[in-house]
Amino acid sequence: MALSEGLSGPALAGVFRDEWGRIVAGLIHQFGDWDLAEDCAQEAFTLALQRWPVEGTPARPGAWLFTVARNRAIDRLRRSAKYQEKLKAVAATTMTETAEDGAGEEVVGSGGPDERLRLIFTCCHPALAMESRVALTLRTLAGLSTAEIARAFLVPEATMAKRLVRAKHKIQSAGIPYRVPPAGALGQRAAGVLAVLYLLFNEGYSASAGPDLVRRDLCDQAVRLTTVLVGLMPELPEAKGLLALMVFHGSRQAARVDGEGDLVRLEDQDRSLWDRAAVEEADRYLAEALQQGEVGPYQLQAAIASCHASAPTAEATDWQSIAWLYQQLADLTGSPVVELNRAVAVAMTDGPEEGLALVDGLTRTGALDGYYLLPAARADLLRRLRRSCEAAAAYREALALVRTEPERRFLAARLAEVDPPAR
Amino acid sequence: MQYLLVHAVDEELAAAMSGDGTAQASGPSGGAAAPALAAWLDETVSRGVNLHGSRLCPISDATTVKVRRGELVVTDGPFAETKEQVADYDLLECSDLEEAVEWASRHPTAQIGAIEVRPLYGDEPPQGLPEPAPGRRRYLMLVCTDPDVERDEPGPITPVEPWVEEMGGRGVRRFGSRLDEPVRARTVRVRDGEALVTDGPFAETKEQIAGFDILDCADLDEAIEVAGKHPMARHGLLEVRPFWPFQKD
Repeated sequence: MALSEGLSGPALAGVFRDEWGRIVAGLIHQFGDWDLAEDCAQEAFTLALQRWPVEGTPARPGAWLFTVARNRAIDRLRRSAKYQEKLKAVAATTMTETAEDGAGEEVVGSGGPDERLRLIFTCCHPALAMESRVALTLRTLAGLSTAEIARAFLVPEATMAKRLVRAKHKIQSAGIPYRVPPAGALGQRAAGVLAVLYLLFNEGYSASAGPDLVRRDLCDQAVRLTTVLVGLMPELPEAKGLLALMVFHGSRQAARVDGEGDLVRLEDQDRSLWDRAAVEEADRYLAEALQQGEVGPYQLQAAIASCHASAPTAEATDWQSIAWLYQQLADLTGSPVVELNRAVAVAMTDGPEEGLALVDGLTRTGALDGYYLLPAARADLLRRLRRSCEAAAAYREALALVRTEPERRFLAARLAEVDPPAR
Repeated sequence: MQYLLVHAVDEELAAAMSGDGTAQASGPSGGAAAPALAAWLDETVSRGVNLHGSRLCPISDATTVKVRRGELVVTDGPFAETKEQVADYDLLECSDLEEAVEWASRHPTAQIGAIEVRPLYGDEPPQGLPEPAPGRRRYLMLVCTDPDVERDEPGPITPVEPWVEEMGGRGVRRFGSRLDEPVRARTVRVRDGEALVTDGPFAETKEQIAGFDILDCADLDEAIEVAGKHPMARHGLLEVRPFWPFQKD
């Protein structure tokens, strides 16, 4: 059974969420052994599950858990002769910490060093495969079980277990350092961490129409981890920008899928269902990020989401600002997908003709070949220009490329509008 | 003349043959082939033929480094996705290519995989290679060509000498060499007791090994930094593979 599922009481579940990553990160730092850290953290939580309901929750749950987990780890090392030397090294660092802090148990939960930043950067190291980075982050920082991660990514549990073992093996044997990268490499590596967190969020977000709650929970995990990162790296405006972006997306959750599980496009959404409190929260994060005066792709995307969030209706949206923001984003990233979005925004301000010219230009570059949203956007513009025949052809082209069921249904409905089936 | 023997095996096949089914135990030095390997090493070392060599960590521990448009690009995995992958290497001192091929045909890897024999380019003096200093790890860096990139960025390749000098001075680069053209490589396979020698490298991929360096680094981040500064990072690929850890117990 997954431990995170077993902790049914809300208090314990909260402690698990808040403390798991800290404890694992601290144990890896002390013992340099990922499996040992996970096992001992697991044992500490299991013990808490038995003891706390009877004896009451300790005053500092994090410190209690870390002490139990660390003692378990030392116990295990004692039993293994092979690790005698390692134990001596650990004892030496513990002694120093005790001397420095005044008490050995003060390390976690009392303003002691938070090792999670090391853990985040190690899990998201570029020498690991992207899928391993995501899995390792969920396992060690969020405390998801291998089975839960496997379910969330729709792969067999054995495959996920193997992926995690390989990643941990590579960290050890290839010598991936357990540390926050030095200043020179920090920018690029932090961007890599944000990419992992955003991928995690999108994995959950795109699955929001699906039946499995575990996949949807990925959004919450991504928001939680990004919040942790913002707390640990307040000097990084892009982390706040990403957090704002995630919260903006999340604010529309209730409105973006209808009763049948079909996706509702932004312009057709019932805006009264948007979570106003979440929008305000996201706007706050974005404002804080922008104040730092160092714009990046996530802040620009969040600013675009903010424009949508503040519009009372689709027609009243500030498309001009959105088109300008997409231009900035395109200049920064050179991404053809961004260009496509800019074309759609331009169509809203300058008319579908202008938008179509940009889409056709993009089609000629071939950069988005095989991407269903390109013919889908083209089809939509042609439909608005009442060029039904061409629109129908473009919808068919998009239908041939689309892979998810709700999107397929949406395109099929639009196709039926411009090209009604013969009776 | 010095020759590099690149031992390439299918890791899964090697793991299955070694009997314990783990990828970690793959390679000719594990399992049933161990006595044969020991005999080969005894003979080549005692005759002064074998200058240096090592088993490498499996490809799941490989990292590939390149620089494109000024950006360092780091990816998980080897320089090319091939069935057979570099697992070990040996550096031999032989009178000619035929002698090197002869030694290769007697190596146990030849029976389950392939051994690519490549003359070292130029004549660097052989060097002793002591164990890495405490706190340092040893990596083999394979310097590989990528013809697609060379078409992209015509113009001369920056000379490698300043890199060699810098990394030697830092104590990072312990040894290395360019290799003679892939067309002058021989690949040896032994099947049913018969040695099959073909011209060219073991893998028919567009990317090919052009040289190698042995690096002693504090960690993978340093190895990535060092690889990223190599001139071939901009024209090809660099695969960084940790040495198989030396077991003290």
